[in-house]
Amino acid sequence: MTQHVPQFVNHRFNSLDINRLGLWLFLVSDASFFIALLSSRFFVVGTNTPEHVDQLLGLSLTILLLLSSLSAYKAEAAFEHGDIPGAKNMLLATIGMGILFVFGVGYEWHEAFKHFPPSTGFGTILFTLTGVHVTHVLTGVLTLGFVFFRIRNTTAIGDNQFAVEGAVKWWHFVDVAWVFIYPTLYLIR
Amino acid sequence: MTAGAIWVLLTIIAELSFTSLNIFGDAASEQGEFIDDAFVLLMLLAIPILTFVITMIGYVFFKFRAKGDELEDSAPTRTHTKWVGFWLIWTTVLCLVVIVHPGYTGLLEIRQTSAEEPDLTVNVTGRRWQWMYEYEGRGVQLLMKDDTLVLPNHSLIRFNITAEDQDVIHSFWIPAFRMKIDAVPGLTTYMDVNTTEIGHFNDDVNFRVQCAELCGKDHSLMFTRVEVVEPAEFEQWITNR
Amino acid sequence: MPLVRGAIYAVIGFVIGAGISLGITSITGEDSTEPLIVLGYVFAVIGWLMGVGMWRTWGRGWFGKPTENNPGGGWERYIRFNTDHKVIGIQYVVIFVVVFLLAGLLAMLIRVELADAGQNVMTSTNFNTTMSLHGIMMIAVAVAIMMGGFANYVLPLIIGAEDVAFPRVNALSFWVVPPVVVLLLLSPLFGGFDTGWTAYPPLATQTPIGGLLFELAFLTFGISSILGGLNFIATIITQRAPGMTWGRLPIFAWAVLAASVISLTATQWVAYGMLMIIFERIFNMVFFSPPGGNALLYEHVFWFYSHPAVYIMILPAFGAELEIISHFARKPLFAYRWVVRAFGLIVFLSFLVWAHHLFTSGMGDELHGPFMVLTELISIPTGIVFLSALGTLWRSKIRLKVPLLFAVGVVFNFTIGGLTGIFLADVATDIALQDTYFVVAHFHYTIMGGEIFGAFAAGYYWFPKITGRMYNETLGRIHFALMFIFFNITFLAMFIPGTVGMNRRIAEYPPEFEFMNLVTTIASIGLGLAFVPWVYNMLNSWIRGPKAPDNPWDAKTLEWQTSSPPPLENFEEMPTVTGDAYGYGDESVVHSVFGRRKGSAHPPVPAEGD
Ligand code: HEA
Ligand code: HEA
Ligand code: CUA
Ligand SMILES: [Cu+2]
Repeated sequence: MTQHVPQFVNHRFNSLDINRLGLWLFLVSDASFFIALLSSRFFVVGTNTPEHVDQLLGLSLTILLLLSSLSAYKAEAAFEHGDIPGAKNMLLATIGMGILFVFGVGYEWHEAFKHFPPSTGFGTILFTLTGVHVTHVLTGVLTLGFVFFRIRNTTAIGDNQFAVEGAVKWWHFVDVAWVFIYPTLYLIR
Repeated sequence: MTAGAIWVLLTIIAELSFTSLNIFGDAASEQGEFIDDAFVLLMLLAIPILTFVITMIGYVFFKFRAKGDELEDSAPTRTHTKWVGFWLIWTTVLCLVVIVHPGYTGLLEIRQTSAEEPDLTVNVTGRRWQWMYEYEGRGVQLLMKDDTLVLPNHSLIRFNITAEDQDVIHSFWIPAFRMKIDAVPGLTTYMDVNTTEIGHFNDDVNFRVQCAELCGKDHSLMFTRVEVVEPAEFEQWITNR
Repeated sequence: MPLVRGAIYAVIGFVIGAGISLGITSITGEDSTEPLIVLGYVFAVIGWLMGVGMWRTWGRGWFGKPTENNPGGGWERYIRFNTDHKVIGIQYVVIFVVVFLLAGLLAMLIRVELADAGQNVMTSTNFNTTMSLHGIMMIAVAVAIMMGGFANYVLPLIIGAEDVAFPRVNALSFWVVPPVVVLLLLSPLFGGFDTGWTAYPPLATQTPIGGLLFELAFLTFGISSILGGLNFIATIITQRAPGMTWGRLPIFAWAVLAASVISLTATQWVAYGMLMIIFERIFNMVFFSPPGGNALLYEHVFWFYSHPAVYIMILPAFGAELEIISHFARKPLFAYRWVVRAFGLIVFLSFLVWAHHLFTSGMGDELHGPFMVLTELISIPTGIVFLSALGTLWRSKIRLKVPLLFAVGVVFNFTIGGLTGIFLADVATDIALQDTYFVVAHFHYTIMGGEIFGAFAAGYYWFPKITGRMYNETLGRIHFALMFIFFNITFLAMFIPGTVGMNRRIAEYPPEFEFMNLVTTIASIGLGLAFVPWVYNMLNSWIRGPKAPDNPWDAKTLEWQTSSPPPLENFEEMPTVTGDAYGYGDESVVHSVFGRRKGSAHPPVPAEGD
């Protein structure tokens, strides 16, 4: 009856695997939050989108965020090849675009106050969706910044692999979330 | 065998004592009668399950005890395909039965009047902590907390229910009719009842409109007395107002 | 003293947060109190966490500085940020037992008020606050006592792990609980909240500050629950001992896994529900009030969490119940595989039934049918649990110890609780019964009769492992007898006023319902007194009970194969699992062998052969 099988060992998973799994689980959980957010849009204002939403701004924000995802990916790739300066440049670019995005949302809010303040149905949704999302962006910027300084003096890739990978994955997630928020907020009529 | 006999016996006793016990008075609407019947039916179906569990627990405690503190293993039965299959089948069948009746039949019963033209329409507005009524097309309004909501017997009555815009959620419940629906700010809900019995709050507390959704301080006192009278008497009352 | 430091840092945090908030509101010119509390609270929690030791054990590491880990034993480790899952388990159990007793005392107050029809001891506003506080505190107990408490202590042991996958996250999810408790206890001082534990807006957006504290508390509690669920899933996937295949996983671990899936995903929804209320309060948004908003939005979002949450409560209790029944009947768990499938099905269905709480809410009529059907379908997988429990007891050799008594109590009570759930799932009868005492009786039967009885079973069962001492069997039996009898009188009597027209959440009611309420009140006092022998037994045995052997129940699962209480990393020698845990009466099944030293290579592991 006894036969040799692949071992089910606690140490079959190294700490990198475990951290990855943890992050994925967290993303699943957070995705559930975004589903709640998105569905509330339809509940409160149906598919109405007022004329005054700034389509150009929405589109540019989306492009900006997609580009930043690309640079984040490049940073990770460079890091894996041991190219620390390259990785740092790309991180910096990502952070810069992230900050730009935050300012974009700030501008959007500024405009939104005129046409649909939070005390209107659409305003409620717009401020909540973008507000929650921009909070995620800020955490992303902070983590990336953190990674940026953490890998300053070291070439020890193993130590920081998850820090880089995790921060970048988090950033991708935040982008994907926006990819769903953008059409829900701007494009639906 | 013995366990089976005990179970049957217990079930018969429980069913008989339940049916001999008339827990709720008569419902005063057709919908309410259906609901009471549904409740009784579910009870009749639930009792054998409960007595089964009781019998099993009692029986195994009596029969299958280890002697003293002795440590003794049982025969290692891990599963029993037939019993599992049997269990799955009866639970599924029972489940499907209650889904059809009183489940779907109940849905039909409650909605069957929705396309009909009601004999009387009452528009109801809730606000903390009172109900306000307007008899549609009859020029009568009840705006005081102490008013009695008078309704005609043997009529189809439709309540259109809402709550004031800046108010909170209430629930419009007339226990005698067994029916309730929430009064939500910004939303109009409706509830149909076919009245079948006359009655008055003073004789039966269930003839009351009771708020059934927590709405703050005086939630428990948010009720209106209800009186169901014969249609002729009702017309009289309307003209007197 | 970490607690004192935590408190001081919390105050500092509050001042900082409040200051920032004041600065902002003085520019925008809005009302400043509620934003101040929210922001102050957020910073206070951060300060609190850092103060109790998170900074030293974790935070320093972010900045590349060395961290210190779990310094030494002694009782002090229980009042600081500690990453040992056994310490955290005990922390959870203790704090929630205290909350349980407090909430139980509130229940006594409720019952005294309801002893007769008129007003006795409280105004209706105070009654509403008391009732709501009882509800939310008990719900918190119910969500956390099995998952946070017993699962934390037992799960790593039962799967042969040294700790959970993320020990520091685990500590974090415990240490956000004290702020929750503090907020709830403070809320009566700030006007209380008269919304019930469900906190339906628009009412919830109009309560005094006490309501805001409740919403913040629920939100924080949600975070704890999410992180806990995440940790358990990762632990079960990655930390099993060699040979612990899925087919050998003890049923308790399966139950925790199932419940964790729910806490990981569904809890986000209640967080959003609370956030919406807070936003509506402090930013004047209009999620719920017309024009623009829709009050039903909250009900859907709230129940999308709170229905699955009832299975977060009951599933681990089922797991413990079946575990105990198998070990005390000394018979393999009947239909183990079917139970696992049933758990999976329950989790799946639990996400699809939330609107059975909304049958009378005015939601679209077309939703009634599907939600009724899906809800009633849940009785099929739940029935499997009963099949397994009864099938295990049949032809077994039962040892009637206190844990078994409580486990079988769960079977009995939950039959009543579950069957009355069917009455509520049926639209027609629910229209009559919704918001009456029938519902109150239903959920006390499921939560208290099911989960809390299960938690007591677990408490007695694992007491020797956790404390290293034996509880007093006679006192335990007295406790069980009193609790079982008075529980059933209290809540059986409650079905009747519900059926004949008494609604819930009221301080005053028509005198016609007085008799049954008096019966309930008297029985509930008996129920309260039932806990006196228990409290005495637990405290007394913990301090000076007789030393317990490592494996007093001769059970086969791994937690009993190490010392009582277990050493810091659980096992002196690492276990290798060679068979399932329920091989009673079958010599050929050996659950585990020891002898592997820590860190050594692993021997070949026998497959899961049948
Ligand atoms: C641990 C907690 C718990 C559990 C497990 C359950 C389990 C169930 N609950 Fe309950 N419920 C609550 C806690 C719980 N509930 C709470 C707290 C509330 C009120 C919240 C509030 O408003 O404050 C509530 C309210 C509630 C409502 C809303 C009532 C209303 O407000 O109008 C409904 C309606 O469908 C319902 C149904 C069910 C059903 C069908 C089950 C099923 O899972 C039960 C399944 C089990 C069985 C059926 C018994 C065993 C099965 C067999 C022996 C097999 C054979 C049986 C059949 C084939 C029928 N519950
Ligand atoms: C875990 C869940 C749980 C538990 C265990 C209980 C336990 C009890 N509950 Fe509660 N209850 C709820 C969850 C729970 N409840 C919820 C969710 C609500 C809904 C709230 C809402 O509508 O929003 C509710 C509502 C509720 C109501 C309805 C209020 C209303 O609608 O107006 C009532 C009324 O009787 C009640 C009674 C009781 C009683 C008598 C007990 C008893 O079992 C309590 C037993 C007593 C004790 C446990 C304490 C006694 C101990 C001692 C005296 C020892 C000495 C003390 C120390 C050493 C400190 N509960
Ligand atoms: Cu109105 Cu309760
Ligand atoms: Cu539910």
